[in-house]
Amino acid sequence: MISDSLADINVHVENLHHDFETGNLHSILSEIKFALEQLLQHKKTHSIDLRAMPWSPGEEKKLEQYLGKGEIQIEMDALGKSHFYESKYSGIWIVTHYNPEGEVIGKLIEISYMPDMIFTREEDVKDSLERLQQL
Amino acid sequence: MNKKTLFESLQQQGITRRGFMKYCTALTSLMALPPSMIPMVANALETAKRPSVIWLSFQECTGCAESLLRSHSPTVEGLIFDHISLDYQHTLQVAAGDAAEHAREQAMKEHHGKYLVVVDGSIPLADPGYSTIAGISNLDMLNETIEGAAAVVAVGTCSAFGGLPQAAPNPTGAVSVSSLVKDKPVINVPGCPPIPTVITGVLAHYLTFGSIPELDNLGRPKVFYGQSIHDRCYRRPFYDKGLFAETFDDEGAKKGWCLYRLGCKGPMTYNACATLKWNQQTSWPVESGHGCLGCSEPNFWDAGSFYKALSIPDGDYAKAAGYAVAAGVAVGAAAGFANQKNKANAVSQHTKVTVDDFGENKDK
Repeated sequence: MISDSLADINVHVENLHHDFETGNLHSILSEIKFALEQLLQHKKTHSIDLRAMPWSPGEEKKLEQYLGKGEIQIEMDALGKSHFYESKYSGIWIVTHYNPEGEVIGKLIEISYMPDMIFTREEDVKDSLERLQQL
Repeated sequence: MNKKTLFESLQQQGITRRGFMKYCTALTSLMALPPSMIPMVANALETAKRPSVIWLSFQECTGCAESLLRSHSPTVEGLIFDHISLDYQHTLQVAAGDAAEHAREQAMKEHHGKYLVVVDGSIPLADPGYSTIAGISNLDMLNETIEGAAAVVAVGTCSAFGGLPQAAPNPTGAVSVSSLVKDKPVINVPGCPPIPTVITGVLAHYLTFGSIPELDNLGRPKVFYGQSIHDRCYRRPFYDKGLFAETFDDEGAKKGWCLYRLGCKGPMTYNACATLKWNQQTSWPVESGHGCLGCSEPNFWDAGSFYKALSIPDGDYAKAAGYAVAAGVAVGAAAGFANQKNKANAVSQHTKVTVDDFGENKDK
């Protein structure tokens, strides 16, 4: 018999149960809590590189679900897209940088009043003024 | 060095300050530095000059270059390669024969004392005829090229430790770069192949700071090779609980338990696979269900079967797991020492893989 679709092939794919935790979730949440205290007391911002952490499959997603989505989402388009959104806990931002092909090249949690990259730099304002004056 | 700074070069390509900062963020992550270093990286890159790189390929399979070039593009790695001047790589360059060798000689002359030499592949000493380029033996080309180099980066296990060509009986008398180069800094970036982001991370460190990163006792950058696969493995909690897969298709394997008993060499292997992963961070061997082969360690080809379990102190896994819960890393360290001895024995006996190493035939 000749099979004409993949469904005819008698292969059963089992769902693997890799939903355990490494314990890093709790460590990160403690680090975030401490960073929020520092932000309030000393105006000190903090970033955590999520790509430097060993996660079990799905664990990073759990962290995102735990932090949830707040009111603000920002999209930046420079060397590919970047997404910034504040979690449901104010002052905790989730930042994902993509390359022009849409692949993730950086993922961070920023504990700040506003992610630093969003602010317009003084040099760029000066540059804008110069260009406008040339019109 | 090229006169233009990296920031100027990026600006000319229409990359904005925010784009530059994004580049620096990704680069900092690539170099395994904490995000607090991003402003320092940005500051250094604003004035960094484009270094000349001469890439020499000796007894190798081109897998290391493939690892880098086939990774993904254009990304941070791509951008870095746009900002180093790769003046010689005989597999990639258009020029051939005399013209190619001229390019190498010219780069050596123009950038004397400042260029980086990247080497993949081991060097045969038994007979220079085993591997030559343009009629020049690998040894002569290495000696000639490193004379004016600032540092040498040994990419891949063959170059760093001898690798497959050096495996017993080592017919070509293959040796590593560091066994020959004694008067220049040598950075070993082992792996079969190395993780592409580790290769570029090391080059990025030199590009950014103009210096070599801190190295371990085997000459490997500590930021990437400072911790064992085992210590950063997401399956580590199962090791600590004494839960092991016994075959590749049993319930333990399906539940993602520790692969230690299936021959995983994670406890004695130092590399960054568990965090940096492979194929655009999709997965890595242990996540795909196969134990670590230990490819970034010396003599890994001769260290016995990939499927034979490393020993742990008393061979009683449940008891050892109990110790592990109590003593944590200490058991891993003890197992590491025990296995270094086993590895040395395997190397001297040149043990081979047999069918008994697999599945239910596996020696328990």
